[in-house]
Amino acid sequence: MGKVKIKRKSTLIDMTAMSDVTVLLLTFFMLTSTFLQKEPVTVITPASVSEEKVSTSNVVNVLVSPEGKVFLSVAGEADLANNPESWGSEPLRKEILKNAVARYNQLHPSKKVVLTEQDADVFAKIGSFGVPFQALPTFLRLSQTEQDKVISDMSRADVGIPIDDNTDLNTPNEFQIWMQAIYSSGNDNLQAQMKKGEGIAVKADQITPYSTVHHVLDNLQTLKMNKFSLLTALKTESD
Amino acid sequence: MAQIEQADKGKKKKGAQKKMSIHVDFTPMVDMNMLLITFFMLCTTMIKSQTLSIALPTNEKVEQSEMNKAKDSEAITLIVDTERNEDGTIKKDEDGNARNLVYYYLGKPMVIDENQDSIFEDSNLERTVFLGNDASGMQQGIRKILHSRNKPVLEKIAVLKQQWRNKEFSPKKDLNDSIYQARAKEVRNDSTLTRPVVIIKATPNASWASVIGALDEMQINQISRYQIDNINKTDEGMIDAYIRKHGN
Repeated sequence: MGKVKIKRKSTLIDMTAMSDVTVLLLTFFMLTSTFLQKEPVTVITPASVSEEKVSTSNVVNVLVSPEGKVFLSVAGEADLANNPESWGSEPLRKEILKNAVARYNQLHPSKKVVLTEQDADVFAKIGSFGVPFQALPTFLRLSQTEQDKVISDMSRADVGIPIDDNTDLNTPNEFQIWMQAIYSSGNDNLQAQMKKGEGIAVKADQITPYSTVHHVLDNLQTLKMNKFSLLTALKTESD
Repeated sequence: MAQIEQADKGKKKKGAQKKMSIHVDFTPMVDMNMLLITFFMLCTTMIKSQTLSIALPTNEKVEQSEMNKAKDSEAITLIVDTERNEDGTIKKDEDGNARNLVYYYLGKPMVIDENQDSIFEDSNLERTVFLGNDASGMQQGIRKILHSRNKPVLEKIAVLKQQWRNKEFSPKKDLNDSIYQARAKEVRNDSTLTRPVVIIKATPNASWASVIGALDEMQINQISRYQIDNINKTDEGMIDAYIRKHGN
């Protein structure tokens, strides 16, 4: 009797199909992704049934942390060549900084803030900013990692744009100076959108006390930027 | 699949080179792709944030005569509040949800007695909470009150909604949607119907979520006339008196 020969099978698994699938997935994610904006605080927005979508570019974001600290960011399109109307470019941010500091120095001649060209370059690369004018030179001269560390530390007094319920635009507070500087930064498209009410988005955490968000709303009202949007998460009517 | 086999036809000749099977191992490629996918998955935001558009009134002084005063019969004032612990953190119930309270009164605050003194006890202030629909789809809490105040509009919109579902406006989806939106807007702004005017106020303690919740109820109940206002002394007095009388 002849022995039954058991054929040895190779344990090699063909990975080609697997590779095909992963490449497809990868392509999908690469094409659909928009990168998360780096923000100093993670904010959980309250839910609403509104289904209006917000554009993530060409918008001035006012971020209010649960502690009531205010940050600003001017988000534009990364691909400037195809979007000549976009307003998040680095020259624009420099212009904003120049405007804001000039206005601040004009109002506070005794404690002028002096910034170098390098400082302006650093500022142009920052996404969200939120330090008082007096702390600006020291902040901009830190390394990037240290800047991130400083700006995410909510217990520090020199973090967040100082804001109060000032209604007199002849003596604007720092938040108002910044918003005016953004508005008059010489970009027509930006001005038009801000007037239309599509250019400003207020993003506050759901546990932020109303008293602090109220300051922001009041200030925007004083600045005659009466139309803006509030960022929310989605929920259904039955919740 | 990943191998290229060379056919060996005919007989093997002596001295012919051994036929090679070229096999490419794709495992490292898959590994690398998986890492890249993980990176992209963690770095992307797939969901775009939702927004609520809002227009605040100008704070320029308006002549008293020019002001469009809301009729007392139509006005509802909501004052949102959030329960907080002694240390200022938000009080949570067993499910971990914050309890957002709504104080409301219809028309004018009734606080003045015959001697023209403000008496906050026995005011027309009531208290309720934010609640969604119950299991059978009925409104609860503040939604029930707003719903009943805006009934004429909501009834008309319900009819439109039914037509929209059946695609009666147009078989095309886009057109159907836009016609429905336009019609609904018309109904919301129809001045022949009795529609409420809602004034939303918030105590300093109120969380942002509760204010958004109140704005949200306007959308749900199709209320077109609402505004955000600042809380005043009368409101505070009435809330204090309410808490003294009814407890927290």
